[in-house]
Amino acid sequence: MKLAFALTAATLFGTGAYLLLRHDLVRVVLGVTLISQAAVLTLIASGLTRGAAPIYPLTERVVSDPLSQGMALTAIVIGLAVTALLLVLVLRVVEAFESREIDDVAADEAERGVALEQRHGREHQDEEAAAR
Amino acid sequence: MTALALALVIPWAAGIVLALLDGRRRLVGWLAVAVLAANLAALVVLAAQVLPEGTVEATTGNWPAGVGITLRADALGVLFAVLSSLALLAATVHEVLDGVRERVFPGIVVLLAAGLSGVFLTGDVFDFYVFFELAMTAAYILATYGGTRRELGAALVFTTVNLLGTFVFLLAVAGLYHVTGTLDMAQAAARVADVDPNAAILIAVGFFAAFSVKLGLFPFHFWLPTVYTGARPAVAAILSGGLANIGAYGLLRFGGELLPGELALASTTLIVIGCASIVYGGVLAVSRRTSTEMLAYSAIGQVGYVLVAVGVGGQVGFAAAILYSVVNALNKTLLFLTVEMRGAIVGGVFALGAFSVAGVPPAAGFVGKLELFRAAVDSPAVLALFFLGSALSFIYVFQIYQFDFWRGERTGTLSTWSQQSLIAVVAFVVLALGVWPEPLLALSHDAAEVLAGSAG
Repeated sequence: MKLAFALTAATLFGTGAYLLLRHDLVRVVLGVTLISQAAVLTLIASGLTRGAAPIYPLTERVVSDPLSQGMALTAIVIGLAVTALLLVLVLRVVEAFESREIDDVAADEAERGVALEQRHGREHQDEEAAAR
Repeated sequence: MTALALALVIPWAAGIVLALLDGRRRLVGWLAVAVLAANLAALVVLAAQVLPEGTVEATTGNWPAGVGITLRADALGVLFAVLSSLALLAATVHEVLDGVRERVFPGIVVLLAAGLSGVFLTGDVFDFYVFFELAMTAAYILATYGGTRRELGAALVFTTVNLLGTFVFLLAVAGLYHVTGTLDMAQAAARVADVDPNAAILIAVGFFAAFSVKLGLFPFHFWLPTVYTGARPAVAAILSGGLANIGAYGLLRFGGELLPGELALASTTLIVIGCASIVYGGVLAVSRRTSTEMLAYSAIGQVGYVLVAVGVGGQVGFAAAILYSVVNALNKTLLFLTVEMRGAIVGGVFALGAFSVAGVPPAAGFVGKLELFRAAVDSPAVLALFFLGSALSFIYVFQIYQFDFWRGERTGTLSTWSQQSLIAVVAFVVLALGVWPEPLLALSHDAAEVLAGSAG
């Protein structure tokens, strides 16, 4: 059982990491979601006991660890909230850049960097000229 | 106990209300400032209880101890909570005086304060994650503040990278719970010595990666320059002076208290990564010509010192790490607030911040550097690197000072007197801590004792 949990969580994390590195922003969001699911699954798997549902009155001796399930529930809710936030952020980026490729966002950043370098280069040359 | 509850409840409740109001109105902005001031006051009262009497504990919801979530305020937590609250307060006053541009700003800053107070005052590992995520979520929204392409691009990078960091943290929390069977930090610290070393090392690596991303240490730094240069000055001050404290605190709490054995094992690795951070940040900062870029790379370099001190370990090392985190957060808050200002005293304030970054007396940075040198006195190689790092930081801050103030490259409108007096107050704090460092020194040693005490 542990191995099954471990393999599933690893597959989820791996797939998520792959998607996270894609160019399409929506895939990046999906990647983050999958990684959050890997974390949730690990939380469930980290339970110390396995048995009947921990609902009072207890009918069986061994019940599943309720704490790890509580943590998983909290993590799911937080995961939902941050996914929604990330989707809105991507929507705003898509509107601002009119593209959903991460390359376009990076190109914009690079352009700004180049412009700044050039300005500083020119200033430096002016200074050199003034010094001469 | 009351102060502990108030420090959490005030910003939490007020943040929800403020988030619904239109933050562009002056009144709402000042309301947020009042809430942050109340939060700071509650934390100071709490600190006044904790420092002489020791740890203050409370269990939420009147649950029996061991069942409910514990809130725990010790010297380390209170120090970081007060520090972050101060940084947030200064940055918010600065932005409100400048005129808030987006309706959510005041509410989000107050919620960030709630998250930060929670992170520093909790005694429960999973609770730490929840508050951590609350603070981070607020920070993701803050990073978009301004709303142009530049901020949005930066916010996208910031959010994605840090979400990955928090999920790695969550994985480590799951691992820690599985091997120790408890979420309470004190219990986990007591039980972790009996854990299979292989599992404990993996968990420690998970925590280290998560907090390094937050701090922006060398191999995890790639998101940081984009975000700090893209964000508005007040937001950059909040992120570097308030939020980054989570990273330093997390390294100290999870490394020093929960996993001391693994920390000692990784000592050399941490020192090497820290030194790489110092050199990388220093060299790149020297090559920059604008103050925001310089400060962003300087932030990478400065946290390297903290990591080296954590790696050295022991009470002297931890005390140096705590002291330097405090000084660094204050420096960054001060310097980021000044980057878009012009006026009669701005140059003087910037110079004081620059002295503090370079570690020149009478600024607080000198005391921080002194403690670092004391911590690393046994290894000449690290001492030499500290010296190189300090020399680099002296060059990069004063190079920017020359460009901006002597050559007058800084353009823009004159800042108002109210804003100038605000940065003067922050500068005064930096100066006062440098001139009269005993209280801060004693505090950082108290905080380090908390860690060393639980480890031994």
